[in-house]
Amino acid sequence: MRAPERLWALRVVSTPEALDHAHYEGDVIVLRIANDEAIAIGAVHAELTDEHAIVEVESTFVGWDLSLAEFDEIVHRHVEWPLPAERPALAQGLVAGLPLKFWIDHDRVLMISSNGLVHEVVDRLGVPA
Amino acid sequence: MRFALDDQPVDYVDGDSVAVAVLRAGQHPQHGGTLCLTGDCGNCSADVDGVPFTRTCLTPARPGLRVRRHPAVGAPPLRLDPPANPVTSPSQPEVRVQRVHADVAVIGAGTSGTAAAEEARTAGRDVLVLDGDAGDDVVGVYPGPMVVVRRDDHVLHVHAHDVVIATGAAELHPVCPGNMLRGILTAGAADLLRARGVDLGRTATIDLADLARFDGADGRVTAVVRHDGTSEPCDTAIVTAATRAPRDLLARMVDDPRVRVVGPAAQRFDLPPAPVDGVVCPCSKITVEDLQGVWDKGFQHIELVKRAALCGTGTCQGGVCMPHLRAFVTDRSGEPAAPFTGRPASRQLTIAEAAADVHLDAFRRTALHHEHLALGAQMDRFGGWWRPWHYGDAMREYWAVREGVSLGDVSTLGKMIVTGPDVVEALERLYPTTIADIRPGRSRYVLLLNERGHVIDDGMVCREDEHRFVLTFTSGGAASAEAWVRDWVETWNLDVRIMDRTVSLGAINVTGPLAGELLRRVGVEEPPRFLQHRHLSVAGVDCHVMRLSFTGEASFELHHPVAHSVELWRALMEAGRDLNVVPHGLQALFALRLEKGHVIIGMDTELDTTPRRIGMEWAVKMDKPYFVGRTSLGRTEPLPDHRRLFGYTMEGPAPVEGAPISVGNRIVGHVTSSFTSPATGRAVMLGWQKHTPFADTVTIDGRTATVTPVPFYDPEGSRARA
Amino acid sequence: MNEFVETLLSLTWHEPRSSYDVVIIGGGGHGLATAYYLATRHGITNVAVVEADYIGSGNSGRNTTIIRSNYGIPESIRFYRHSQVLYDRLEDETGCWIMHATKGLIWLAHTESAMRAERARCQLNNAMGVETVLVDPVEIKRLCPQIDLSGGGRYPVLGASYHVPASTARHDRVVWAYAQGAMERGVHVLQQTTVTGLLRDGDRVVGVRTNRGDIAAGTVMSAVGGDVTTIASYAGVRLPVRTHPLQAFVTNGYSQGFGPIVSDTELLCYISQTARGQMLIGHEYDREQSYSRQSSFQFLQANAVKMSYLLPFVRNLRILRQWTGRCDVSADFSPIMGFTGVDGFVITTGWGTWGFKAIPAGGEQMAELIATGRTPEMIAPFALDRFAADHSMADQGSTGTR
Repeated sequence: MRAPERLWALRVVSTPEALDHAHYEGDVIVLRIANDEAIAIGAVHAELTDEHAIVEVESTFVGWDLSLAEFDEIVHRHVEWPLPAERPALAQGLVAGLPLKFWIDHDRVLMISSNGLVHEVVDRLGVPA
Repeated sequence: MRFALDDQPVDYVDGDSVAVAVLRAGQHPQHGGTLCLTGDCGNCSADVDGVPFTRTCLTPARPGLRVRRHPAVGAPPLRLDPPANPVTSPSQPEVRVQRVHADVAVIGAGTSGTAAAEEARTAGRDVLVLDGDAGDDVVGVYPGPMVVVRRDDHVLHVHAHDVVIATGAAELHPVCPGNMLRGILTAGAADLLRARGVDLGRTATIDLADLARFDGADGRVTAVVRHDGTSEPCDTAIVTAATRAPRDLLARMVDDPRVRVVGPAAQRFDLPPAPVDGVVCPCSKITVEDLQGVWDKGFQHIELVKRAALCGTGTCQGGVCMPHLRAFVTDRSGEPAAPFTGRPASRQLTIAEAAADVHLDAFRRTALHHEHLALGAQMDRFGGWWRPWHYGDAMREYWAVREGVSLGDVSTLGKMIVTGPDVVEALERLYPTTIADIRPGRSRYVLLLNERGHVIDDGMVCREDEHRFVLTFTSGGAASAEAWVRDWVETWNLDVRIMDRTVSLGAINVTGPLAGELLRRVGVEEPPRFLQHRHLSVAGVDCHVMRLSFTGEASFELHHPVAHSVELWRALMEAGRDLNVVPHGLQALFALRLEKGHVIIGMDTELDTTPRRIGMEWAVKMDKPYFVGRTSLGRTEPLPDHRRLFGYTMEGPAPVEGAPISVGNRIVGHVTSSFTSPATGRAVMLGWQKHTPFADTVTIDGRTATVTPVPFYDPEGSRARA
Repeated sequence: MNEFVETLLSLTWHEPRSSYDVVIIGGGGHGLATAYYLATRHGITNVAVVEADYIGSGNSGRNTTIIRSNYGIPESIRFYRHSQVLYDRLEDETGCWIMHATKGLIWLAHTESAMRAERARCQLNNAMGVETVLVDPVEIKRLCPQIDLSGGGRYPVLGASYHVPASTARHDRVVWAYAQGAMERGVHVLQQTTVTGLLRDGDRVVGVRTNRGDIAAGTVMSAVGGDVTTIASYAGVRLPVRTHPLQAFVTNGYSQGFGPIVSDTELLCYISQTARGQMLIGHEYDREQSYSRQSSFQFLQANAVKMSYLLPFVRNLRILRQWTGRCDVSADFSPIMGFTGVDGFVITTGWGTWGFKAIPAGGEQMAELIATGRTPEMIAPFALDRFAADHSMADQGSTGTR
């Protein structure tokens, strides 16, 4: 398993409708973490119809790129809640007492933590630092 | 294959439980008492590998196990030094936890359990059957419902939509003289042992209804004696009974509509005759005489009998004694006695097993954590974050701020961006001060009040443009700030966007008379003026620079994307090298702000601190039509108040924080913050008086202290604005 | 008979009457102690204690039995210290063995801010005549060698306050001591008697309505736990009280070996060994409000891991039983004692997680209030009207809650 990498992103807060129709430049993974909030990993520019949208550079997130086998072996047993069945899918919640996000694709899982908790993720899940 | 029983080798046959192997060797796992070998009683429990109260009938024999019988009299020793700590030592193997989800969890694989499982499967549901015979030792059924199961090598947490308890019924144990002898078995235990090829010697089988007593010698049964006086010699006595007792401890421990009890566990049951003599509760060695004793003393309710006689409070939690205790109380009171409350855990989970895979609060690190460590910081946890308490010499840090320039890591501050058409209205309602007249590029200090008008936090409101603000909160208040703001905005149905930036932005406070000079060296030609804020490039990093002052000196907070924290910090340290820049920790910061008389919410304030109690009415505009807390403040404003936080000074060293403040012989309050202030040459303090009339001179630490207006240092505030 | 049975004194039950001078709702520690002190200190014995279930069935039989006075505000320190003194004398006074044992309480701190709070606690306690001293890790190790000073590598111990007079007693036996002493002097205790309403004469409360009939009373006192807002509502009294479950557990019984009480400001958990040898472990009340008495596995998990950090030896102990009580928590985390503004109806509530230690003083002071019709000076700060007067007794840091 590889060490985690910093995920540069744009973080966007806007109306649900505007987020539904937002356009991002770049090779982007969009995590719709809330009705009114999205994290566009890899985005450098966002177009929204909402003049009050908040669009900020987000550099706190760190991601571990896991194979499904690695995810099953190391992480999954700590997840106390059911994971979504569709692919790709975002799942987020407390895992081993830590707020984590998972971007679950067909063959990989991107596990995302904020920067300040990386040491706890490493300690509790035994993933590389 | 062998293990050790009290240091003597015991041979076993593959498939034996420890109890079976011990009996095969002609021993008894305890010192006596009827054995059921199904986990219902505690009569086979022993210390296995250093863990007392282990049911040996449920423990598979393994080579090298160290089994030790509990003492014949008294309790097993409390071992105060054994297992290694899970975190500091890997020598103790971690208990593994497995978590599963199921539509239906069925506890019990007997007739009724199998039927319930089949029914659920037919209905298309995902079923998990927990089978005691297969080693599923169910510890408890909890609200959720959640079932906790101990297995040989891990603990299983089952999250089920529905739970079916089909635990069946348990054999009755005999209560009569001699029932604590060795060599007494239930019929089920005898069958099991025979099937395992254990030689039971000469056996005598007797029905509970006929049993008068057991005779014995050297602690071992020698004969069964019937009510009709006849006696039958034996090596092993086997007790049968016409009825079985519902095995309903799990059923009694949970009250949840999604938990159903089926089969014999749910069935009505005819109590055995009231016990006349003998041990009723083998776990606690409680006799019929004890029950009669408490009954005669007026403890005449099954729960009172249980508590007064301590019957049913041992390892098996009533597994053995419940039918007999109920029979006793029913007989004496003339009214049917219901079972006493069932409580988890039904099987004795160890604390290590319960603690497995459990994590408490996480402690955040700022992006500068390793910078601090490299600079020799002693780290302390504060508000959920690791923060530098000092870097070896808090006074040096203090003087750097007062006379030169210093850096503080304030990344932990709560930070939030709010925008939207209704943003001004929302902030006017959230904060007790006026928001609308803050001009873009300006900022204002604010208190945050709860509905009761009590101060819960403070911070800054920075206006960026007509509809965009940046809010800051204290490090301690940051965790709840987002929910607080969001909940109110939702409640008021205002059109506002909220983005929490606390963990996204690092923040470095550059403070001291040379702070402006340091900023110039990293490319800031025109830093913002006091209470202004601007977006600037600092050492090549995009920063939101806020000018304010908590330390009393010129201060610039540089808020920046957290990925650039280290780069920015190093650039500032490097550029300030010849200015003797040093970082400061919380200890110095608390002292610096105290000289300025700034309160720290939660440290100087209490749960019920209104603005006037800390002399901050100026931060509250009662002429606003509405803000959170206004109604309460309007009500309490006219009331006489007897509490006030004052500043004090006195000669000599500062007292301990928390020192009582006295007027005459009366303690009127206590010191909340204190510091021997080099800048003023006196001890400076904040502290409460909670009795009126408020005194101008008080006694602290046996010395006279004088109420002194704050700030103690630079009262005109010229240094912060310089 | 075993010694637990032999040493019990007899309870004297009476046939109920239709009228009493005083009716106390709630046959727990506070209700029975009030009856006891009415009888012994004021000669008032025409008293009934009505109990919906059996005596001690509520929080009196569900707490972790710690008796301490290391509070953070003078009013509380004085009150709880007085209760400690009454506890120290209770066995001599009543002749009942309550298994009282002075153990000392080590209250651990892991951060500079916690140390600051413990320093302050020591200052104020000593000024009020209560022996609470700041101890460093070396001294902690001497007082309790089993404490892992590294806190499992996560909660390093910086120091502690050591409350010397802290003690424990067997909760049930405290209830029975007061019951026995009161009943012996003629107080009636009516079990299985549920109060379903209050009898009113105009604005005055003049008795209780129960499932077994009406009972007239000169004064009615509520000493119930968990249902106090319901009882108070019968008199039209609103209380700033929320109810939370509080859980605890014990291990099996082991031989005596662990002397002190250990508690922790940050982890909010506490442990001691009972007279029966069980390790008794509790922590803060559940965050969610509820009237439930169901126990949760999450509680067990959190508490088990906390204790594993602090006292690694507990890891191999087996959990015997967990249980849950209901805590009435007032808006300022202090009790509410005294008059309610409704004639004939007085109250003792808000006992949160701190009611057991207060049983003697709470009972004694409420008895004096009922007997004299005046609020004793010691409990005047805890009157219900303090909330309207914005004069709360906030001392959350001392309650083992947050």
